[in-house]
Amino acid sequence: MQLLQAHIAQDVLSLGLSLGADFVDIFIEKTQSEGFVFKNSRAEDTQSGIIFGIGIRLIYGEQALYGYTNSTDREELLRITKLLGSRIGKGLKTPTPINFEKLSYPKIPTIQDREVDAKYKLSFLKKIDERLRTDEKVSQVMLNYMKKNQLIEVYNSEGLAATEERPYIRLYHQVVMKDGNLQTEAGFGPGAIGGWEFMETLNIEENCNMLLKQANTTLYAPPCPAGKMPVIIDNGFGGVIFHEACGHLLETTSVEKKASVFWDKMGEQIAHSALSAVDDGTIAGSWGSLSIDDEGMPTQKTTLIENGILKRFISDRLGETKTGHKRTGSGRRQSYKFAPASRMRNTYIEKGPHQLSELLASVPNGLYAKKMGGGSVNPSTGEFNFAVQEAYLIKDGKITTPVKGATLIGTGADVMTKISMVGNNLELMAGMCGSVSGSIPTTVGQPCIKVDEILVGGEA
Amino acid sequence: MKNIMEQVMNQVTDHKADADLILSTSKSLKMSAQNGSVSEYKVSSSQMLGIRVIKNGAVGISYTEALDADSLKYMVKQAIQNAESNEANPNEKILELTGSVSDEMTYAENETDISLKTQKALELESIVKASDSRVVAVPYNSYNENEYQSFSLTSKGRATTYSDKSYSITSSALLDDKGKKALYYDYNIAHTFNELQWNKVIETSLLHARNILEAKTLPTGKYAVRFTTDSLKSLMECFSNFYSAKSAMDKVNPWANKLGEQVISADLSIEDQPLYAQAFRVSKFDSEGVVRKPLALITNGKLNSFLHNSVTANYFKTETTGHGSRGAASSLNVSGTHFIVHGKNKKPLPAKYMEVIQMDGLGSGANRVTGDFSVAVKGYLWENGQKIMTFGNITMSGNLIEMLKNVEVVGTELEASTDSSFFSVPLMFNDLSIAGT
Repeated sequence: MQLLQAHIAQDVLSLGLSLGADFVDIFIEKTQSEGFVFKNSRAEDTQSGIIFGIGIRLIYGEQALYGYTNSTDREELLRITKLLGSRIGKGLKTPTPINFEKLSYPKIPTIQDREVDAKYKLSFLKKIDERLRTDEKVSQVMLNYMKKNQLIEVYNSEGLAATEERPYIRLYHQVVMKDGNLQTEAGFGPGAIGGWEFMETLNIEENCNMLLKQANTTLYAPPCPAGKMPVIIDNGFGGVIFHEACGHLLETTSVEKKASVFWDKMGEQIAHSALSAVDDGTIAGSWGSLSIDDEGMPTQKTTLIENGILKRFISDRLGETKTGHKRTGSGRRQSYKFAPASRMRNTYIEKGPHQLSELLASVPNGLYAKKMGGGSVNPSTGEFNFAVQEAYLIKDGKITTPVKGATLIGTGADVMTKISMVGNNLELMAGMCGSVSGSIPTTVGQPCIKVDEILVGGEA
Repeated sequence: MKNIMEQVMNQVTDHKADADLILSTSKSLKMSAQNGSVSEYKVSSSQMLGIRVIKNGAVGISYTEALDADSLKYMVKQAIQNAESNEANPNEKILELTGSVSDEMTYAENETDISLKTQKALELESIVKASDSRVVAVPYNSYNENEYQSFSLTSKGRATTYSDKSYSITSSALLDDKGKKALYYDYNIAHTFNELQWNKVIETSLLHARNILEAKTLPTGKYAVRFTTDSLKSLMECFSNFYSAKSAMDKVNPWANKLGEQVISADLSIEDQPLYAQAFRVSKFDSEGVVRKPLALITNGKLNSFLHNSVTANYFKTETTGHGSRGAASSLNVSGTHFIVHGKNKKPLPAKYMEVIQMDGLGSGANRVTGDFSVAVKGYLWENGQKIMTFGNITMSGNLIEMLKNVEVVGTELEASTDSSFFSVPLMFNDLSIAGT
């Protein structure tokens, strides 16, 4: 299915070039989505929809001009192009004719889809709801099911014509638990690129047990003591710390503005020698994978840090123009409403040599962050903060009392040097990342790690 | 637009269903500067039509950004199918309201030349850079124009029209002094270009960034804390589910069973004022077409009412308060308009307190079911009426419910948030946990 006729794309690109642009591209998107919110033991919100639009970008040197519309009408697209081009006033020039060459690229495998009717999907969610409600302290279960299919086309003035179909599926579980005046909640949101068969791979019993254990633990836990201490962060979603504290600082979007503490550190030791990290867009079925980025470049596995040394930034076309760091197939955006920017895909700390027990044994007094919540970072200063969803105190190398309300704060540059031990239990988890080009699916991940010292927020 | 909505509504009635339709359109312009030239220039025009169908008591939602006949037909079909896959909800009905209401704002302004807009946009970066040799970047700066229109139509005959226009600017200052970095940003929003406060955003960004550069940590302990109105707004909005009948219905509201009870200090009263004259924008009707009026949520510490839409009102057997909210692609929810926090029994300021000007991590560091939160904060330490130092690199933990029970009112004049959507008397919160050195 073609979203925009090639001859209209040619006209738009030619007009952009004739208006003096060095480079022009068009991004066309049609996304069909469906979703249920299963709450109060019933489907409460069933919806579906179509997002459709076209984004046009003109690049003049280091300047990007961007416009978008829902219309495929040639005249409207030319109007937007002219409006953008007229801002620069570089004068008219004769463009060379553009002949498109369809990009062929290796397709990242996705998880198979299967035709399943709404009734079946609801019965699947009901099963999870019923399992979670076997604990009588559960006062609410919310299951947010989302499936969408994003079809994109990219044309550019260098003759590129590329298309990709990206299926996404995710189920976010949230359980609320209450006992008298005590209340807590626990959440978990597995996702993948692919279709319904991903849902069949979920281990409902294991996932429900994990959520109930987490809620039961935090429901009765005392507040976490505050202060600086060593912290062991376990695998999986613990990787959000690297994503926020370091990953965002390695995007050329920050580097180009010198708004990253790492902007001039290429080839230097920026992390402990125990740490190596990658950003990989090519993992089969993984939530943050894509075959081509939103600029039509095939994705790749990019080594960011090797034994603590900064090896590569995450770069898009404009990032390469502005910083000289080669593109990595990382130009991404939420939708046609955003110009692409350098963004992470599946970003994780690579596995190391240690068992979790070895990390724990090295800590006389500290915190074990079994499950991390979300967080945020200010790339300009490197300051980050993360919530810990499930945490325990460590005493003499052993996991002891559960605690609630812990927050970790610090700076990326500092914490990266303090990750002194890396475990061997690498796990990846799906998440959503919000930044300059909108909210996009990304995967975070890590094995368990030891941070020698970090400020833990909690009860003073 | 009217024709499109009527065509779609005719298709719905052919299916023997009720519905409401929302058509929203927007146009925007954004400019950002980098190294003295416009690095980002973005223009847009977009539209979306959404439908909420109720068939045999069950609800289905669908939306489309393509408005051709086939897409509209597909959208209706999807919405009907979605409704058919849902169980009936006896509380959700299209309200029996008829007639048209309109809330279209126009503002007297002169046409501003694009070259002046561009020049001013560039100054959001250049003036900051020229003001202090320690400024290494102005990472957040932009000039934005937004025009928004929405139309709604229900199968019962209610039609609404809403339109508005706004201008906003953002600037920031990233300072570096021997490797120590500090960033602060500020913004301003106005209805006309001429009302924009260019100097204010530049000066505020520079002032706080310079101070944060000198920030030191504080000893771990308990402190009295005062929030700027913007920080207090962020905190109160993070826990806005406390006032929502929908979250009470969904059992994720800690005040669900506390109507009529004392939930916070008797010195505080909180109201929702849709038509508040000092607000950036009054709001005459909600997404269900219900005409809005002021609502006392909490009076002298007692919980009077939740914010209701028609569904929650039916569930709790009461009347809607006109707080239904729904976008073209979303289901019917509840949201407030402008919160006004009144106080009485003014106390003197304590000899020593913290003033929080910036909070980071509220999104992930808050438990909306319990009121617990833990965030990174920056601000000023005051002693005997003097600002004695800037603090940073610390966390603050607390529970908003307990804070509001033990709050002290330390002023009588209402202070407005930067976007003029939240107003509060000055408040002091004692004994908040701070983690530092």
